[in-house]
Amino acid sequence: MVVHSLKARRMGRAAAPYLLLAPAAVLVGVFLFGVANGVAQGFGIMPFLGMYEPTLGYWVQVLTRPDLAASVQFSLYIAFVSSAIALVGGVLLSAALCAVRQTRMLSLVNVQIPLMCAHILVVLFMVSLFAGSGLVTRLLFHLGLVSSPSGFPSIVGDPSGWGILATYVWKEVPFVAFCTVTLMSHVSDRYGEAAATMGASPVRVFFTVTLPLCRGALVKAFLVVFAFAFGAYEVPFLLGPTLPKALPVLAYLEFQNPDILNRCVAMALNGIMAVVTSAAAAAYFAVLRKEGRRK
Amino acid sequence: MKQNNGQPQPGQTTGLMSRRRFVGLAGTAAATLMFGGAFVGCAGSGNGGSPASDASGDDAAAIANSVDFSDWNAVLEAAKGQTVSWYGWGGDEARNTWINTVLADALKQKYDITLDLVGMDINDILTQLSGEMQAGVEEGSIDFIWINGENFYSCKENGYLWGPFTSYLPNFNDYIDGNSPEVLYDFGSPTEGFECPYGKAQMQMWYNSDVVTTPPTTVEEFAAFCQQHPGQVTYPEPGDFTGTAFISCLIAGVVGKGEFEKLSAMEEPTEEAVLAVVEPGLEYLKSLKPYLWKEGTTFPADSSTLSTMYADGELILNMGYGAPQDLVNNGQLPETTRSFIFDSGTVGNSNFMAIAANAPHKAAALVAINEVVSPEMQLSIYENLGNISVLDMAKLPQEQRAQFENVPLGAAQIPLDELLDHRIAEASGPVIPILEKLWLERVAQA
Amino acid sequence: MRRQARRAGCSGLWAARALVALQAVCVLAPLAIIVVWAFTASWPWPHLLPESLTARGIEELFGPSQKLGEVLGSSVAIALACAFFTTTVATMAGRALSRYRFCGREVFRFAVLLPFLIPATVFAMGVQVAFIRAGLAGTVVGVVLAHSIVALPYAALIMTDAMEAAGNRLEEQARLCGAGPVRTWSGIIIPTLLPSLLSAASMSYILSFSQYFLTLLVGSGKVKTLALVMFPYLSSGDRTIASAYGVVFLAATLVVFFLFELLLHKRMAREIDYFNG
Repeated sequence: MVVHSLKARRMGRAAAPYLLLAPAAVLVGVFLFGVANGVAQGFGIMPFLGMYEPTLGYWVQVLTRPDLAASVQFSLYIAFVSSAIALVGGVLLSAALCAVRQTRMLSLVNVQIPLMCAHILVVLFMVSLFAGSGLVTRLLFHLGLVSSPSGFPSIVGDPSGWGILATYVWKEVPFVAFCTVTLMSHVSDRYGEAAATMGASPVRVFFTVTLPLCRGALVKAFLVVFAFAFGAYEVPFLLGPTLPKALPVLAYLEFQNPDILNRCVAMALNGIMAVVTSAAAAAYFAVLRKEGRRK
Repeated sequence: MKQNNGQPQPGQTTGLMSRRRFVGLAGTAAATLMFGGAFVGCAGSGNGGSPASDASGDDAAAIANSVDFSDWNAVLEAAKGQTVSWYGWGGDEARNTWINTVLADALKQKYDITLDLVGMDINDILTQLSGEMQAGVEEGSIDFIWINGENFYSCKENGYLWGPFTSYLPNFNDYIDGNSPEVLYDFGSPTEGFECPYGKAQMQMWYNSDVVTTPPTTVEEFAAFCQQHPGQVTYPEPGDFTGTAFISCLIAGVVGKGEFEKLSAMEEPTEEAVLAVVEPGLEYLKSLKPYLWKEGTTFPADSSTLSTMYADGELILNMGYGAPQDLVNNGQLPETTRSFIFDSGTVGNSNFMAIAANAPHKAAALVAINEVVSPEMQLSIYENLGNISVLDMAKLPQEQRAQFENVPLGAAQIPLDELLDHRIAEASGPVIPILEKLWLERVAQA
Repeated sequence: MRRQARRAGCSGLWAARALVALQAVCVLAPLAIIVVWAFTASWPWPHLLPESLTARGIEELFGPSQKLGEVLGSSVAIALACAFFTTTVATMAGRALSRYRFCGREVFRFAVLLPFLIPATVFAMGVQVAFIRAGLAGTVVGVVLAHSIVALPYAALIMTDAMEAAGNRLEEQARLCGAGPVRTWSGIIIPTLLPSLLSAASMSYILSFSQYFLTLLVGSGKVKTLALVMFPYLSSGDRTIASAYGVVFLAATLVVFFLFELLLHKRMAREIDYFNG
């Protein structure tokens, strides 16, 4: 009897993690089914059109596109710069919020509100502010610094992509702060005061204690922002230049094509994005493992 | 026993814990598995062509077949009490309001049909429809669609549409000229009764008469106009519907209407064939570039961005399928707004309504479509939205024709006969992606 | 030496305050513009104030055909359900990932985060097909579950991190003192995790509330949410209407978050009383 219940208990313990994970596994399973469907389309499998024969044709077509290299480069540039700025800005914001003993009201304004604005809404007010005829240009005009709308590098379609960067920075600095602020206030509460009583300056505490302890969370936040900025089409579609187009914009335009067969091309382009973001994810995974081993 | 010694916690607590926890976990897991099972089971059966889904499909087909669509009274009877969903672009407040109030009220009162307008981009509609097709749904969620030519071609090719149905509609038979090319063809592809016209549209250019005194009415004048106002004129990047239509107008102005309309007859065009027609036009567009907004290095991605820039005064010219009278009326654009067209004409098309192949309420969809093309509703559309009617005026009774003629014209609007006299047929659906690609290679990149 | 540190701390505090204030301005200034635009008819160059005002935005919002209340109600309900469901699922997953060593743990850790890396257009249609087959397309339940797919990686990340950081010392002490599992969870685990639970829930809420593409496909256009009505206007260039919806969208979210806050405060206050008593 005793042995039996012991065995059952041990089995229960072994099964527990799987049972705890089951609901999440179902959600991930549905997601993976969706991904498989999309990947299959990239290889020309569209059951609803009676296409079952896999082909590499669409991938070849996409990989030999003359505009591909410039697009990948532009997207990488957007993704790297915006996630780097978001990281630095997010850390500063997070540290500042911890330092002023963030009340929940402050974090609501500074962090939560930007999180809840849809990207396309952010584009709307970025254009209101920074278009050739935007409010900032008008202010400069009244100050006598600009004589006409064309005197300002309008946010729309600028080849440097500064409009896309500005939009992402506005959205993602608070996101990075959101990801780190709880942990950071925890860390500075626990170790910061100890270090401070030992005479270390707050800045030194921040760089030698707080930041290293938050490293894991920061790397994760960076990768999430990177993957998003690399793969989302809305902002670069609306604010990006005609040439080169960001990679997700190319995919979106193919997806939009009335000819449904072009969705295969779109999925192949999405496949390229997935490869790049997976490389980023592999780096992320490596970070996780390293962290795990350290523990 | 050894195990127990190894555990720091009192054994009893652990046992209690894990047993209770186990029950709780098992409960959630069971629920999850049931839910997961629904997916797996159904996915399996869907792939295997399940008898269950086939049977329900047959039922739906049986119900659909039981209505004799050629008997209009039977259609009206079948439609009674149904809720019909209309999927179409949802970004036009005036149109949404008109559909939700005038049209919906009429359908409710006359036929006891509830209209549910779903605002959705046409490519999202396509995605939804193809998803339903892939899942083998016999009774979908979409009844009828506001559709444009390029997408119509692709939908009909793939068997997403139900028809032919226009011959069932009394108002179509009575008031619409079924033999006019604008009804027979949509972007060059034959409609074959799978689409009923909804409205006619024609490209027009808008300007503020306070800022621009004489609008350019030929392509030569337009080039001079751009030079006089450097950086203040541009057009949406072709690929955007409006952008493609606008460069079509300019190309037609350069190569001539007759030459350009060759494009509307091409069913399987090659790049060479299209280029042979449009090359002088592309050269012209290239020559404009230095005088355009941002020296033509970049173009706004869509017409709404352009409209914003025009409304704010960054640009002095805007364009669209119709006159901006409603924008003037609601104060978005000044009273001095006017429209013009080129002497060489501007492109125009009809937009249509089509019924989804798996529409659950085909009878109600027919009644709703028939109501949209009734003289009363077409008049109301013309009055409220400024859309050109699809009815054949010659077929209308004198009294109703007079009502159309008596609708007062806004200051921003161009008289109907002037528009129709300068109407160029749009390039056919398959030509358009080629034209856009050529523009990208020979104008944007050059 | 110490005074110096304190002075540095003081100037650092001022810098932090300035930074927080700057961020608040960066957030609130554009929002003010949205509010103004909701009442603006035209605002051309070079005016710094709107040229003419209109009630069109308000009329559109509260027009009888819009059923704003209904749409808003269903959006909030869906987002709340998604927040609750996702947070529960993520907490369970977080518990498994932070507390147990088991075969496939690393794989699962990675799999949960995959939706970050793959654009929605890739999986949306397949997800739609799965939901149609399961009979969940066009239903509120289906939409909530679909939103949870998108929200899960965020919530799982937050909960796993939080549980790993929290460790199990307190929990084990409680158990040693003879607390049962219910008491351990309600008295120790949930209160320690409360800030993270709230973060996960609010992130899920936001993701659900602003989800457009998946709602469209899985809801088949039958489940109407505010995002569904708002997005066509956002991309149509009608700034008055788009801004009016934007204001409602933000206001609704803020109201819900304030209620969250109130609830939390009440609970925290009770918690403190409990310990004091």
